[in-house]
Amino acid sequence: MIDHIWTALVMLSSWNLMLTITICSIYGLFVGAVPGLTATMAAALLVPFTFFMDPLPALVAIVTMEAMAIFAGDIPAALVRIPGTPSSAAYTDDSYELTKQGKAELVLGVDVITSAIGGLMGAVVLMTSAPLLAEVALKFTSFEYFWLAALGLSATVMIASSDPLKAGLALFVGLFFSTVGLDITLGYPRFTFGSTELLNGVDFIPAMIGLFGVSEILRNMGSSHLQYPITAVKAEKIFSGVAKTLWKYKLNMVRAGGIGVFIGILPGAGADIAAWIAYAASKRFSKEPELYGKGAIEPIVDAGTANNACLAGDWVPALVFGIPGDSITAIVIGVLFMKGLRPGPMIFQQQPELVYAVYISFIIANILMVPFGYLAIKVSGTMLKVPRNILMPAILMFCIVGSFAINNAFFDVGLMLAMGILGYFFENNGIPVAPIVLGMVLGPIVEQNFMVSMIKSEWDLTQFFTRPTAAILGLLTILTWVAPFLPTIVRRLRGGNAPA
Amino acid sequence: MKISDTVVGAGFVTAGALIIAGTLNYPTLDAGHPGPSLFPRILGGLMAVFGGLVSIKGLRNRDTTEDVEWLLLYKNTAFINAMVVLVGVLAYILFVEKLGFLVMGALLLFVIMWRLKVSPVKALIVAVVFNTIVHFLFAKIMRVPLPLGILWW
Repeated sequence: MIDHIWTALVMLSSWNLMLTITICSIYGLFVGAVPGLTATMAAALLVPFTFFMDPLPALVAIVTMEAMAIFAGDIPAALVRIPGTPSSAAYTDDSYELTKQGKAELVLGVDVITSAIGGLMGAVVLMTSAPLLAEVALKFTSFEYFWLAALGLSATVMIASSDPLKAGLALFVGLFFSTVGLDITLGYPRFTFGSTELLNGVDFIPAMIGLFGVSEILRNMGSSHLQYPITAVKAEKIFSGVAKTLWKYKLNMVRAGGIGVFIGILPGAGADIAAWIAYAASKRFSKEPELYGKGAIEPIVDAGTANNACLAGDWVPALVFGIPGDSITAIVIGVLFMKGLRPGPMIFQQQPELVYAVYISFIIANILMVPFGYLAIKVSGTMLKVPRNILMPAILMFCIVGSFAINNAFFDVGLMLAMGILGYFFENNGIPVAPIVLGMVLGPIVEQNFMVSMIKSEWDLTQFFTRPTAAILGLLTILTWVAPFLPTIVRRLRGGNAPA
Repeated sequence: MKISDTVVGAGFVTAGALIIAGTLNYPTLDAGHPGPSLFPRILGGLMAVFGGLVSIKGLRNRDTTEDVEWLLLYKNTAFINAMVVLVGVLAYILFVEKLGFLVMGALLLFVIMWRLKVSPVKALIVAVVFNTIVHFLFAKIMRVPLPLGILWW
């Protein structure tokens, strides 16, 4: 193990990796701090660049970028009451209320330190749990992988969304996209409409850039003159009083870190959900729940820790099973496939240095977060003043060239545009976009493992429940679907009246 | 562009039905077991059921919200700007090979910035400079064969 850590450290200490980390930190901080640009969008736009990198710097780039972006989302939440990324939405009101009370420095100081601590907690769990789970995963067959992917899909719909019906629709659309191209049983072309480009399926990268980049640009087309009144902050003062506050809420941080990592490991639910759940738990156990939403620092400590802790958690199922923990790790899996690497337990044996590099880059990114975060807060006024009517067209250009660069094909630019329109329409009608991505990544895993299992067992469905691990995963999946209806069912069984 | 859940749901029912219809001629495995058609048919079915439920929920809540005033769309700046982006990208795809990235990219940037009320001079300068930087980054450093068209560099 020491050898692998050493190899990873040597690789990470090269000057071009240092440069990658620095550039991606700045990129992540900028994207996070500018409202309307999300970490997922940033990851999708980073992919064309990672295409030209080795696997290791590509992964390091994404880890650094996402850690910084999720923290930086807190900056506009505190200063202009607009969360920079959805992960900061849970505690935006509290942050802004405190800013109005003249405590902006304390809020931002707490934001940056809790983000770093949360991120480090996540990294520790990733480092300890991933290798253990990988040992278990080595014994998995197609039956277990089928259920695991099905559990991921179910969690996406039932847990990670406020409207399971609409999340389900988005998921089915993603799964449908995954069926386009040659099928795995007979090599029969499905839904290709005679197009040779579609024989290999809907290309993941242009689709991501369209869904998260172009749709966001289209949504921003109405608000070219958005200028917000920005509160000026004294960056030098952000760390005063932070230690006292955090010591007071040390147990909150442990709890929130745990919640964050758990939500992260759960396939399909990302940092925004982690923040909301940590916020709710914080309020439930707080001595002053009446202050929540009106300028309490306690939920900022909780949710601010949880969303960054979640990020490393998201990598656990992604690395161990090849099942994404959120939409960013879905993109990571796409990147690994592009590099000819198959995420799964074998990667721990065949490319251990890659796995250790991910661990170490989480640690480096979260330590660097404090000085970089300080600098970002110092220049926050300028960052928030970047004119959107220049920024949006510039991002569109990156979307176009990035989509083209993967296969050097204009077809992909068209695909990006179509996905952008789809994403725009979906978001406007309350249909979340993230399940589409998870569907596209998990679709082939679900279908292949199901078909392989069926053919292997000569179409005997009971085999899905006869292996113990498969049976447990299967029951968990079914429970995910039934759980929301359980209270109603129990009431009916007792003969009471179920609420309409 | 929000339209009522009833209509959105109905759209998904249709899409689900079309997916199933699309698989009707797919070959089967030995002994008649379904092969390529199985997964899409399950998906089409689920899509239709979920779409139907969204539709029914919309009807129950009497959701007829349509924040789109279809007849006034030509006055809606956000809509027109979004259309400019769509048509612009389509035009880019169609003409970039002829005109080249340096021309077409800058043109697209300029038009969108101009629509977003950036002053024409500023828009022109930003478009040309930024587009040249993108060209340098992708074509020169990352060796992406961006079309050269009428300008060669």
